[in-house]
Amino acid sequence: MGSLAEDVRELARGWRWTRRPLTPESAEPWAPPVEPRTFPTNWARTPPARAAREAILRYAFRPLVWTETDPNVEGLDHLRDLSPPVMFVANHSSHVDTPLVLCSLPKQWRERTAVAAAADYFFDVWWRAATTALVFNTFPIERAGGKHATSTARRLVEEGWNLLVFPEGTRSRDGWMGRFRHGASRLCLEYRMPVVPIALRGTFAAMPRGRSWPVPGRVPISVRFGPPVLPEPGEEFRSLTPRIQAALSRVWEEDRTTWWESLHRERRGEIRPPTGPAGPRWLRVWEATRPPPRRRPPRIWRG
Amino acid sequence: MTRPGFVLDVDERTPPLLVHEGEGFRLQRFPLGTQVVYPPDPLPGIRDVPGAIREALLHPQGSEPLPELLHPGMRLTIAFDDISLPLPPMVQPDIRQRVIEQVLEMAARKGVEDVKIVVANSLHRRMTPSEIKRAVGERVFRSFWPGDLSNHDAEDPNGLTHVGVTDRGEDVEISRRAAESDLLVYVNINLVAMDGGHKSVPVGLGSYRSLKHHHNVHTMLNSRSYMDPPSSALHGSAARMGRLLADHLKVFTVETTLNGETFPSRFGFLNKREWEWSVKDQAMFLAAKRANDRAPSGIRREIFRRIEAPYGVTGVNAGETEAVHERTLENLHRQQVVEVNGQADVLVVGLPYICPYNVNSIMNPILVQCLGLGYFFNLYRGKPLVRPGGPMILFHPVPWEFHQVHHPSYVDFFDEVLAETTDPSALEAKYEQQYATDPWYVHLYRNSYAYHGVHPFYMWYWGAHAMDYLGDVIFVGADRKAVSRMGFRTASTFADAMEMASETVGGSPRTTYFHAPPIMLADVR
Repeated sequence: MGSLAEDVRELARGWRWTRRPLTPESAEPWAPPVEPRTFPTNWARTPPARAAREAILRYAFRPLVWTETDPNVEGLDHLRDLSPPVMFVANHSSHVDTPLVLCSLPKQWRERTAVAAAADYFFDVWWRAATTALVFNTFPIERAGGKHATSTARRLVEEGWNLLVFPEGTRSRDGWMGRFRHGASRLCLEYRMPVVPIALRGTFAAMPRGRSWPVPGRVPISVRFGPPVLPEPGEEFRSLTPRIQAALSRVWEEDRTTWWESLHRERRGEIRPPTGPAGPRWLRVWEATRPPPRRRPPRIWRG
Repeated sequence: MTRPGFVLDVDERTPPLLVHEGEGFRLQRFPLGTQVVYPPDPLPGIRDVPGAIREALLHPQGSEPLPELLHPGMRLTIAFDDISLPLPPMVQPDIRQRVIEQVLEMAARKGVEDVKIVVANSLHRRMTPSEIKRAVGERVFRSFWPGDLSNHDAEDPNGLTHVGVTDRGEDVEISRRAAESDLLVYVNINLVAMDGGHKSVPVGLGSYRSLKHHHNVHTMLNSRSYMDPPSSALHGSAARMGRLLADHLKVFTVETTLNGETFPSRFGFLNKREWEWSVKDQAMFLAAKRANDRAPSGIRREIFRRIEAPYGVTGVNAGETEAVHERTLENLHRQQVVEVNGQADVLVVGLPYICPYNVNSIMNPILVQCLGLGYFFNLYRGKPLVRPGGPMILFHPVPWEFHQVHHPSYVDFFDEVLAETTDPSALEAKYEQQYATDPWYVHLYRNSYAYHGVHPFYMWYWGAHAMDYLGDVIFVGADRKAVSRMGFRTASTFADAMEMASETVGGSPRTTYFHAPPIMLADVR
């Protein structure tokens, strides 16, 4: 038989000093799961917000990105025969990707483009959600899936908005392209939307994960738009996803070599997704940070 | 349904009409009763241009589909029209880029590796790398430049092949690479009826030795007009050469036609009929004219140089040259032909800032003459717009200015040759050979960006038919010295010009104002 002091000590172990005692999980009464609340972003597509966004992108982000890095944008002529809504699909390895793509687009395309952003990253607190929604016209996507994972995206497409999607779902850790998720393909098939692949090269070298500002030295970046991929009648998302990835890989190859060379490699079946060399992480990062060559002739006069 | 072109009779309610005058424009009142020929409204462009190109390449006229002509190990040459087309340069992507990309995609799928792309610049200046890039697009340019994409060199002794002689004794000499290819694909833009057909390969890839058989005074005097190929001795000669070539070389022609959307929306008033100008158009006209008149000439020229035409594509046809060209001309006529009843006593035209030979350059007096008496005068089918011996009044300042890099032989031609004679036959006989073979001009043509030494002669011959036909040529508001060097007359105002014209046609002449651009072709009945 223990002393009073021991009994008190035992009781004290089960006592939560800072909170109320917790009910064991198995003893909790059942309740239907609560759907996460979707952050409202409709206000970011109202005329005043669009005007503010255009001003911010054109007069702040574009000069900033184009000063801190050295982008070369090609292939915009592929947009000539398209009309909204289309889905822009790009590889993703840096926070600079989104402003880079948006500022590369002609105004009439940029002002009708919304960007899919991870709900758990960009929409976790109100101030981050509001800022990205205003500046980049983002809307939340649940990376874990779920009934409402793409509900906002669907509504936007129905309203005629173009979407910018990074189907890898996250930024690359080593600068190389990862596996594509199927969400983008499902959406394209549902709405018969053309997919415009965009190969981004050099953005990992310019501003990799962990950095909040581009590295010094105006790293050359290549933004290359490819010809649209159209969903075929009766096609399934399992075949469309690899087609989109193959198209993006071909555009990447076009940028790395030449358009003519990439066509020949495509015919010979030699194009592989740019997943980088096999080897340790440092080697893959080393290769991924090798910048694309500068395409412009050097300036003769330097002021 | 777009509105066709028509002829307006000037009455009391007619507003002052827009007249081009080089790098500028004005509103001009015309006498009551003046006939004004307006071009048709632009036809709607094809919505699915890539689809139309694919259809043309897969279902060509009088030829196997393009993919069937392609096989591994073959030599493929692609030639395309140079900077002289279209005018003004079109908004990117250029239609040449779109066609060439599809041809190359088919070639790549068939495993064709030996491909050369040639600018069919004939005796025109070489295109600069940036101009070529603009025409063929970044993808093609970066893939092929500089090794496999180049300008045609009509003076390269090792780069030419003498293919044969026609039954009329005309030498056919073209680019060796093209002549020795298994397939030559020619990509054309047919802006006016003179372009395309058999004129593309024998002229575009030809040499002086070949061109002199039809680029001469005799041929031009018998081309009435050279904008109407069946009535053109120039095209007859080119056709004989083209048929001879077709016996030696497989040519797959791709011809495209454009609509009349010549000016971008900020200059929308230039595309409209004056009484339909909105308040915004009127304000734009006023602002543009005021700013233009006050701007220094360098800035003014730069503004005009930057104009890009939002042309729509009205047709793409491919296959055997003659079958293709027949369809091309049908398309072109659908856009450009305007019926005009009877000839006028006086023809009035306003010359714009651009012609095929001064893109990114300066329109010198010889080119003004070529544009007015060559191109504009010849934009007819049947009979000229003006009766034989009638005067032609042209609006242009005709500045005594030359581009020293692009037009070096023009400077000497203007100073030396025209100072002695303006008679096309006389200067052809005495000076042409000397200019055509001058080693310095040849050097500049091959290594700089100069037009060939003989080119100013051709420009003068271009106007030979008009000079022979017209009774008087009067420039309004022009540099008196430059105009008189060419043997023409100058008037300060349009009223003065009409007064001068009355010496030939009396006090109340029947006057026609040809309201171009956009380009049209008068079908004079």
